[in-house]
Amino acid sequence: MKSEKVEKKYMPEISRKEIDELRNSVKTASQKIMAENIERMKKADPNRPEVMKYFDEIANLFGQRQKEILAEKEKGKKVIGYMCLFAPTELILAADAIPVRVNSGWYDTSKLGDRVVPVEVCPVIRSTIGAKMIELSPFLELSDALISVLTCDGMTKLSEILSDYKTIWGMDIPRVKDSSQSLRFWNDEIKHMKAQIEEFTGNKITRKSLKAAIEQTQMATKAFRRLQDLRKGPPVIMGRDAMLVNQTYLWDDKKRWTEKTEALCDELEKRVQRKEWVCSPDTPRVLVTGTPMFWPDNWKLPTLVEEANPKGIIVADELCSGERILNDPVGVDEWSMDDMLSAIGDRYLMASTCPCFTSKDGNEDRINWLINKVKEWNVQGVIYYVVRGCMLYGMEYTRIKKALDKINIPVYYLDTDYTREDVGQMKTRVEAFLEMLTARVDF
Amino acid sequence: MDWEIIGDILRIAVLAGLGVAGILAILIWKRNLATRVTYLRFVIQAVSFAALFYVFTYSIPLLYVLIIVFAMTIVLGRLYCGWFCPFGFVMDLIVLLRKAFKIRYRSLPDKLNKILHQSRYVILLFFLFLPVILWLIEPPPDFNFAVVMAQLFAGPFRPYSVLLDPMIPLVVPWKGPLVVNQINLSYPYVQDIITYAGQNIGQVIAIAFVGLTLVGSFFVRRVWCRFCPTGASLAVVNRFKGFKWAPLLHIEKDEEKCTKCGVCKRVCQSQVNDVYEQKGGKINTSMCMLCLRCAEMCPYEDTLKVKLGNKTLFKSRNWLEPSKSE
Repeated sequence: MKSEKVEKKYMPEISRKEIDELRNSVKTASQKIMAENIERMKKADPNRPEVMKYFDEIANLFGQRQKEILAEKEKGKKVIGYMCLFAPTELILAADAIPVRVNSGWYDTSKLGDRVVPVEVCPVIRSTIGAKMIELSPFLELSDALISVLTCDGMTKLSEILSDYKTIWGMDIPRVKDSSQSLRFWNDEIKHMKAQIEEFTGNKITRKSLKAAIEQTQMATKAFRRLQDLRKGPPVIMGRDAMLVNQTYLWDDKKRWTEKTEALCDELEKRVQRKEWVCSPDTPRVLVTGTPMFWPDNWKLPTLVEEANPKGIIVADELCSGERILNDPVGVDEWSMDDMLSAIGDRYLMASTCPCFTSKDGNEDRINWLINKVKEWNVQGVIYYVVRGCMLYGMEYTRIKKALDKINIPVYYLDTDYTREDVGQMKTRVEAFLEMLTARVDF
Repeated sequence: MDWEIIGDILRIAVLAGLGVAGILAILIWKRNLATRVTYLRFVIQAVSFAALFYVFTYSIPLLYVLIIVFAMTIVLGRLYCGWFCPFGFVMDLIVLLRKAFKIRYRSLPDKLNKILHQSRYVILLFFLFLPVILWLIEPPPDFNFAVVMAQLFAGPFRPYSVLLDPMIPLVVPWKGPLVVNQINLSYPYVQDIITYAGQNIGQVIAIAFVGLTLVGSFFVRRVWCRFCPTGASLAVVNRFKGFKWAPLLHIEKDEEKCTKCGVCKRVCQSQVNDVYEQKGGKINTSMCMLCLRCAEMCPYEDTLKVKLGNKTLFKSRNWLEPSKSE
């Protein structure tokens, strides 16, 4: 509790009563939606692996994990939130703090965000603002400080707006990623962030603790990649289930998550041997790319694809709420402090395929990575998902389409908003696309 | 007397080293450690260090050793530099020392690095033409081609001895520049510096050279390899037209699988950028010593491949195992 009242630069003054009322109504609605989503996931795969129960529990944002973090906080641990995947979580882990990602996926709160920013702004931003306004998001409320990486315009201003409430550490990220001067700049930012985290948590990041954090994350990456590799063959897991597993990493305890994911992979491997597929191996295989999709509300597209008629299955994605979370490991050459830090810098800047980057051949990394994914995961169609207001993903579409046309992979541009109203219309569009894919498979 | 004992010890050491290398190689391969190539390289370096001494104890003309190494280059590229060179081994040992102190290496600016690599050729040319230059400065009374050739290969300033210098291990079976307890110690280039510059000044320059390279390689990885005229001449062999297929041993990159995470660039001992920057295909650079650290550290399966001709020997893979080495 701050003793003196801080003047709010952006946020409107709302009475406590209104906040509570709004929060309770949104929270109840959201809990219902979470339960419904999970129920539908269970229905889609009657033979759902036992381990998924654990992930369902963690996915309940107002459940077990919230209590755990609260308990750890009472013991004196700090919680550090972050908004983009560029935040170096290894540093947070090494300082014995808890990293959580705080972007919000609530549809209802995006309407509240309209009070602060125009409607044209990306709904992820509006929803996060709204969630803060009514103190909805458990992880945003629990975090003591936020790392905001200034990637897109929305994130840049979001950090400014949230600074009405929280300590914000902005990390300036260079937009041209493959030049040595931008790498130098970014490495300085990482070093600075290390100092800030150390000062804030009071724990020194030592060589040993950082090494342990890197190795722990590498183990998580190993489990994560194992899960993605399992999706290369005929479908053994619903795309939604895998996406949920991926996303729970953002707020779960990293060690426990790794164990559970390995357990899930063990189970799935057995199924591969028994040839137990979740759906017919002829089901069109879809890759989703574009704007991140956040649990719980923004689960619209995966649900639609996998419940449509004809059915599709999401075998891979290129989302920063999905496969980009853990795909790239930190590759350390020598375990000295400096080298570990620059390895972390490299991993977060250079390996990323975020569209906020450009280079002398544009964002070619993303195209190459997509083509590789399409080939390796045997993808038959790509859904390019963009929410209105997401400029960067929207603008990169044309080039990606051209590149994928060359390898004869159909791409479908699906634009939507944080709303439930267009579900019916989207269903028609998705089904038409899947129909076309099925026809191609038959042919 | 002493020589025979030392010789015996070394011979046994070579055999033991070979045995250990074999066992280690199998173990490392089985346990799938992230650093298996680096371990193997260390073992091979140690063995070749001893083996070269062993070779030199027989009075094999040094020129033959040079010719064999050059012939190897056509097939294997600069593999010699990364895996066999005794001077390189010394520098790698210093890196181990630095790692023990937990100090980080310094990198040279890319531009300077490129310039240094170009300067290798200048140094090489200078030594190759030294007999000619000397002949021009002090022309002999009558021109005789045989005399020039004699100066090239047998004269007081044999250019090829400069090329041979990094191949000489620290202990030599002939009279070295420094004798301690009847063991002839040597250091690359020191013998030549003393021969060329004379006893007194030569010793001063030699000590400065030893000090500089030792300190330099403590802070910059493989610092001498960036000047080394032997490396330059090895690289030159594959530069001629008609040798585009050479070296048979090379690194190949798959552009689509690469996410440009930059690991290959950071782990490279001689700061080669080409693996990172080149858009797929055969990596062709005279700076690469084929230490294969990049292929070893690349975290994406099949992105970097080490090929001999069309046959893949080793490829990058998902190495995510907790490191057991420190």
